[in-house]
Amino acid sequence: MKRLAAIVFFLATFIPPSEAQFKIPALDKSPMDMSYYPAEYPVLKVQNKISEPLLARVVYSRPQKNGRRVFGELVEYGQIWRLGANEATEIELYRDCRVNGEKLKKGRYTLYAIPQPGTWTIIFNKETDSWGAFLYDPKKDVLRTDIKTEKMEEVAEVFSMAFTKSDDGVNLVIAWDDVKAAIPFNF
Amino acid sequence: MLLCAAGLLVACGQQNDRNGNGDRNGNKVTVNPPPGTSAEQPALPVGVDKSPMDMSYYPENFPVLKMQGKAGQQPVARVVYSRPQKHGRTVFGNLVEYGKPWRLGANEATEIEFFRKVTIQQKKVPAGRYVAYCIPYPDTCVGKMKSHLYTWGLKIDSTRDQFAFEIPVAKTIYPYEYFTMQFQSAEAGIELAMMWDSVKAVLPIQ
Repeated sequence: MKRLAAIVFFLATFIPPSEAQFKIPALDKSPMDMSYYPAEYPVLKVQNKISEPLLARVVYSRPQKNGRRVFGELVEYGQIWRLGANEATEIELYRDCRVNGEKLKKGRYTLYAIPQPGTWTIIFNKETDSWGAFLYDPKKDVLRTDIKTEKMEEVAEVFSMAFTKSDDGVNLVIAWDDVKAAIPFNF
Repeated sequence: MLLCAAGLLVACGQQNDRNGNGDRNGNKVTVNPPPGTSAEQPALPVGVDKSPMDMSYYPENFPVLKMQGKAGQQPVARVVYSRPQKHGRTVFGNLVEYGKPWRLGANEATEIEFFRKVTIQQKKVPAGRYVAYCIPYPDTCVGKMKSHLYTWGLKIDSTRDQFAFEIPVAKTIYPYEYFTMQFQSAEAGIELAMMWDSVKAVLPIQ
């Protein structure tokens, strides 16, 4: 027993301080993900199957419903919402475009929303590399536009964003719980 | 879901490689074309990735510091990478083979961005985005940065290499379950620490 204690003491004393202090970042509860337009652009690229130029990318984190009612409760109506979790949701546009008909320069933006029943105000803000919506400053808004939402029959457990082709451009489809919305882009 | 499915398929591809059933160079990517790209059936990712994505900034936790009013307008560096897990496997020399390019992560290629110009091992690196990968060896690894952006981690195109750095590796006492990349403060500048299993490589950056 004494010997065991001595060994434990020995091991405990000889852990290099740098390693003892370094905190390994754990896996995030709301893991990050990425969505491109064209969809699956990185995969198409390695397969040499790219038929459309790279237009947009969103980097966001994916919270889960976990049995909660999302809209009107977890995400309050009329309040700024970070459209994700953790690091602020980042949208990058590789070309000048129109969002819901309004002009937007290419570049990197933080994406927010103000949800209401049936409609969301989508916000493009130039304060990037931020956390959540805690630092949200309307003075840094570049564009605000209202989009309609629709009810889904099937519930999305995980908050999801994906670019899809639309009739005349590209949609960024956003879905969580029983609500779905699409931001229309024309490039 | 697409990303997840793609990830799984690619992972299966890798498994086959190791069993000798597939292309041993790992260059064959068998991913079905995305089924949901038509207008009437929007594709939505429903599951989360097996090797989830993560982000590390310098200054460390820049977005949090910024939120607290303790950071400037722009970070110095950022890495976006995916985090495979050890799952009881020996990683280096086995899952990740020595002498072959390794994507430093999973799924989408690992992306490093410098928001200002930096110096790494006396080489001047302009501000910008790079894909990072490495070639691991038992005692060292060759870290590479290239310009071929927005790609998938497999099938590394080394003709686009812009920078190569020889990075010594050290053994760690405890194995790291998750592949981890982290910018941290060093005595002379910044370092990018990369850890997985019982191996740690540190690249100093000025």
